[in-house]
Amino acid sequence: MSIVRCALSFALGCWFISVACSETYTPGQTVDEDFDGFAKAFLADHCIDCHGETAPEGDLSLHDLGPVDEINAATWRSVWAQVTLKEMPPEDAEPPQVIQRLRFSDGIVDKLTRLMRDKGGFRANLDPDKGNFVDHDLLFGRLPDGIRLQPTSSPARIWRVTPQEHITRLNELINTESPFDRKKPGLRTHGDVVPTNHGGELKLYFGTDRIIKWQGGTVAYATSVKSVPAVLSSARNHGLENYPDFYTVNSAEATQILGIAADIIRYMADGPLSIAQPYQITDDPNSIADRMKGDLRGLPTSLVYSTRVVRPLTPVHDLMNNDGVTDQRLRAAVDYLFEALTFRPPSKVESNEYLSIAQQSIEKLGKTDGAVLGLSSIFLDRDALFRPELAQSGKPDLHGRVMLQDWELGMAVNHAFRYIRPDQTLRGAVTDGRMRTRADVRREVERILSDDSIRKPRILRFFRDYFDYDLGGYICKDLKALADTGASNRGQAHYRAMFDAAASTDRLIEFILQDDKDVLKQLLTTDKVVATKNDSVYFGRQRTADKRAEAIATDKKTLKAQAKADAANVEKLTAEISQLQDKLKVNPEDKRTQRTLAAKEKTLETIKKKATAEKRRRARINHNVAEVDLSGDKIYARVSRRSFGNGSMAPERILATVPQGERMGILTHPSWLVSHSDAMDNHAIRRGRWIYERLLGGGIPDVPITVDAMLPDEPTSTLRHRMRVTREDYCWTCHKKMDPLGLPFEMYNHAGLYRNTELGKPVDTSGEIIDSGAPDLDGKVSNAIEMIQKIAESQRAEQVFVRHAFRFWMGRNETLNDAPVLQNAHLAYRNNGGSMKAMLVSLLTSDAFLYRTVNQTPTNQTAASDRASSETTASTATVGEENR
Amino acid sequence: MLSRRKMLQGIAASTVAVFGNSMATNRVDASPKKDAAPKRIVFFMQNQGFDPKTCIPSGLRSSGSLAKTRLPEPINALEPYKERLHIINGLHGIHTSPSHSAFFGALGGYRGSDGVPPSASTIDYELSKALPQTLLPHLCIGMDSIENMKTKPTIATLSASGAGQPIFMHSNPNHLYQMLYGGISTGNIRRQHEARSAVMNQVQRLAATKGQSLPTSDQMRYGQYVQGFKEVNGLRDRLDAVADHLRNFAPVVDERYTRPEFETDWHDVLLDLGISALTSGITNTLTIGSGRGEIFGAWKGLGIDQQGHNLGHMDQPDNPIWVKIRQYNSRMLVRIMEKLESVPEGSGTMMDNTLIVYTSNNADKQHTNGANWPVMLLGNLDGAFKTGCFTQLDGKRPINSLYTSLLRAAGQNVDRFNMDDKAAKKFDSGIGPLKEVLV
Repeated sequence: MSIVRCALSFALGCWFISVACSETYTPGQTVDEDFDGFAKAFLADHCIDCHGETAPEGDLSLHDLGPVDEINAATWRSVWAQVTLKEMPPEDAEPPQVIQRLRFSDGIVDKLTRLMRDKGGFRANLDPDKGNFVDHDLLFGRLPDGIRLQPTSSPARIWRVTPQEHITRLNELINTESPFDRKKPGLRTHGDVVPTNHGGELKLYFGTDRIIKWQGGTVAYATSVKSVPAVLSSARNHGLENYPDFYTVNSAEATQILGIAADIIRYMADGPLSIAQPYQITDDPNSIADRMKGDLRGLPTSLVYSTRVVRPLTPVHDLMNNDGVTDQRLRAAVDYLFEALTFRPPSKVESNEYLSIAQQSIEKLGKTDGAVLGLSSIFLDRDALFRPELAQSGKPDLHGRVMLQDWELGMAVNHAFRYIRPDQTLRGAVTDGRMRTRADVRREVERILSDDSIRKPRILRFFRDYFDYDLGGYICKDLKALADTGASNRGQAHYRAMFDAAASTDRLIEFILQDDKDVLKQLLTTDKVVATKNDSVYFGRQRTADKRAEAIATDKKTLKAQAKADAANVEKLTAEISQLQDKLKVNPEDKRTQRTLAAKEKTLETIKKKATAEKRRRARINHNVAEVDLSGDKIYARVSRRSFGNGSMAPERILATVPQGERMGILTHPSWLVSHSDAMDNHAIRRGRWIYERLLGGGIPDVPITVDAMLPDEPTSTLRHRMRVTREDYCWTCHKKMDPLGLPFEMYNHAGLYRNTELGKPVDTSGEIIDSGAPDLDGKVSNAIEMIQKIAESQRAEQVFVRHAFRFWMGRNETLNDAPVLQNAHLAYRNNGGSMKAMLVSLLTSDAFLYRTVNQTPTNQTAASDRASSETTASTATVGEENR
Repeated sequence: MLSRRKMLQGIAASTVAVFGNSMATNRVDASPKKDAAPKRIVFFMQNQGFDPKTCIPSGLRSSGSLAKTRLPEPINALEPYKERLHIINGLHGIHTSPSHSAFFGALGGYRGSDGVPPSASTIDYELSKALPQTLLPHLCIGMDSIENMKTKPTIATLSASGAGQPIFMHSNPNHLYQMLYGGISTGNIRRQHEARSAVMNQVQRLAATKGQSLPTSDQMRYGQYVQGFKEVNGLRDRLDAVADHLRNFAPVVDERYTRPEFETDWHDVLLDLGISALTSGITNTLTIGSGRGEIFGAWKGLGIDQQGHNLGHMDQPDNPIWVKIRQYNSRMLVRIMEKLESVPEGSGTMMDNTLIVYTSNNADKQHTNGANWPVMLLGNLDGAFKTGCFTQLDGKRPINSLYTSLLRAAGQNVDRFNMDDKAAKKFDSGIGPLKEVLV
């Protein structure tokens, strides 16, 4: 840097410091300044020196960047990410003041948002992957002078229901799920989410609660049963999937929903008769044997339904099964369906609208077809597909915020936990006017949390989104690469094992939540595993070539010895039998000899059978794996009951202990490891990124479009060696944060089996925590277990966990204005011994959850309106007192 | 150094990324070439596998002309159309896990199996976007046992518009007729059409009313929901507007619709409806799932008493049952060609601008690893494809390469379809389209 530049830089720096000190900064405040005001000086002072006109660093010149426009928007986006994440200016340069950096970052977002408004919008800052772009230390530490926070709130909005929510909601109309059984708390029960099937597809099945006989196996059963796939979709498959503003419902989906609605209404009216012949409904399948001849596999006529009516009998049933149509019965059906689909009673206007539609349809088509068509329209009501939080009926407070109330508040609380409609108590609270205050919310949240019979699938959904342990069954494995791991590559065995593993991990999380002590730490360090039979392989150890040969030799030796012993026994018994037979020839009536002979012959038969069975068993032994002996109490996992055919997704599990020193916590379980792998190998980068973002709270900018992100294809090289390409200067800036955190997991292969060697050599499991933001965490680690142990003890990981919970339950990224909410939630968690429940009560009674600000723009979710007359700082924020 | 030009490219990419989710499923907003000459593609997917011995003329072991050969008995209905036929043997689909059926993977070129949701869009959907625009770009019909078609009149097993976004196929011809030709129908179908139209109009009105009070930030997103109804209602209005034109092509509804004796009655009328959607210009892409992508299906109308899974366990060559099914397929293919030939288009006929892709969602047989995936092409899509020949490949190029060829012929400049470079290293010995099929 030249002396002149230094001097200029120093002078500008001093000017900025003085400006910064004299100004206050309010996060999210609308940036009224133009390029000259918010950016020019910043760029000149902190960027141009390296990114100037000649020989710019990274081949990026910013000297003529100019105001944000369509042409330079991508560059501005990159500048925004680098500056916000404090990657730039580099460590050896003078850093900008905190407020300078924040204003610059806000300014870019504001300009990009305005510019891109009619071009698809700029929403990168709203993506959950960018949640960590907000400085962790500012959220949980002391704020510099000059930063003034506003009382927080979330924008008024509508949430599109999630696929899981939608299918579970529809399932309520046609199937009766079992009530909660306290003796078997793990079994899937009413209120749990409808699970994916054996192939990982989310579907609504009709009449599975009445099917008592079918032909064929899983596939035949699944084909015979009436089913419809989820119509709504989620495009994201890693991280938080469902912010309210991610999705809409398009025309193809709406059309399909209308078709599904007709099927559902007919089933509500007639049960299995709507999808089967009358003779198929009997409690004695043998009585219709003559109708069930031949190969009926895959046909709906292969099913037999019991006569016991178990589906909910509703006003829709009454309407369709009573003669004629009365307005009263039709309205009852309309109102029932409306509430079942939107979770609230219809207004008079809504009831009248749908009554009128149904009446007109009946007039045109007659009762049955007309009622089916007319009632189907309710499935497309806005509130059946979107959940509104519009806060239109409350009065704005001093800060322009309106607290949710009545049905909107009741449903927000309900949605925090459940996919089915609010229970009687919550509905009563709403209708009695007792869902209007913070205390009301606390009462209901605490009640729901304390009652295990109220199923809370949204909590499990959070953990699936947070950990991403449910993706293993969707990762297509190369058959040879899979076989090399020691896992079975036959048919769909591995994929089904992975869906089972996700259900097992769900259940393990439930056990930890039940204790509600040091929840995150337990999740990361537990020595427990919920296991199926398959897990003796998946939690086993991949044998080295030597060990494999040794195992085969030992096995052969054992088999040989056993065969020799068997042969000796057989020879001895054969001789004895021969003698007895000779004896009987002499004296055929000798009863005692007859009995002895029969006994000997039976023994001989048994020995031969045992020998054959043992030979077969040994032939099936997987010598690639030293299986682990998992044993423990029998429990259940929350898969479906018999919905998908014989032997598929069985709920039986055991609660076992993992091999010490080889496994510790969810991140070392195959469900998580495989979810973070690819077709051929481990995905150390993705694993490292998970640790960096979800535990350490770091942010990673998007991969520049100029990067060809490919590792070399070298089958004889280890993954670690192939990842040498990420050590190029251009890549390493980001990859140093991820790769050394992912490589310790090389102690497992890509099917999740423990291993000591890789490609015949001792596997290198070393790694390092670099620039974590918590200096005490930084340093080298020898393997994943050591790394996890270290991080699990840290307060920072807890705080990052709270940040992710905030995003999930608030449906948006946090801003600096949310600092008090996050701090309170973390305090609640910590002061209650690491209690998830305490954290949830804190979050769900926070202003961010309760308050909405109408007509906020997406850029300034918590932006103040200028109406706010009083501002509070992080340390003194006590807002919404009027509602306590 | 990043230039302004590169920046422009960057912004285009980022805009697409921002729109990605909503655009992916928004069919009407897709913008195929509106003014290009019409072209159309038909996919005919027979389940349970397509054994090469049932289509390759005996003695033909290497690539060459079909002119002096005689087609095997199962496909001998195609003999008069040999000069339009291209038999391809030796593609593979081992990455699609096709044993029993690859389901969405057959047209997607990725792993599929029973119950496995689609992991990306399928080729028929992508082509429907790329081909010159029609009123209803993509139509899927599915043929199965009569019981299954009645109980499950729509299912989704073969086509998808994206990851986790299945496209439903129609199996009840009465419903499909109403959808396509409700505006020119009479009697009960007309009443159903009018009632449905009235309901959908009211649903649109209610949806729009409930959108008026939404926050600004949600209005665009919710607006897409309301727009969806406008599209549905608009399509119906557009079909109604060309009712006179459609009358020339709509099949006559007879007893086979309402009182089918066998499932093949419905198969036949579904095919008629599919063909009419092509000839009337309603659609540019037709996907036919015979057996609906699953491992079952029935053809009792052909005198085949056995149904379902056992059919797949039989060897197909010289098997009377499979000869009947394949002959039935072949007659259907002939029917498609004859109908398209009868409609003038440009200086020739519709068939000149059409390609039919006949294969199985199950590769060569029911229990298969997909090492061989035989395909027959009929037609040349306005001269884009070679015809009248047999091509024997070495089993090192995947079905994705054929799909790449289709996209190229539809004007898309792509080198691969649903296969990244990493997977290609393992599953594809080449890059770009199959040079053996394109002219």
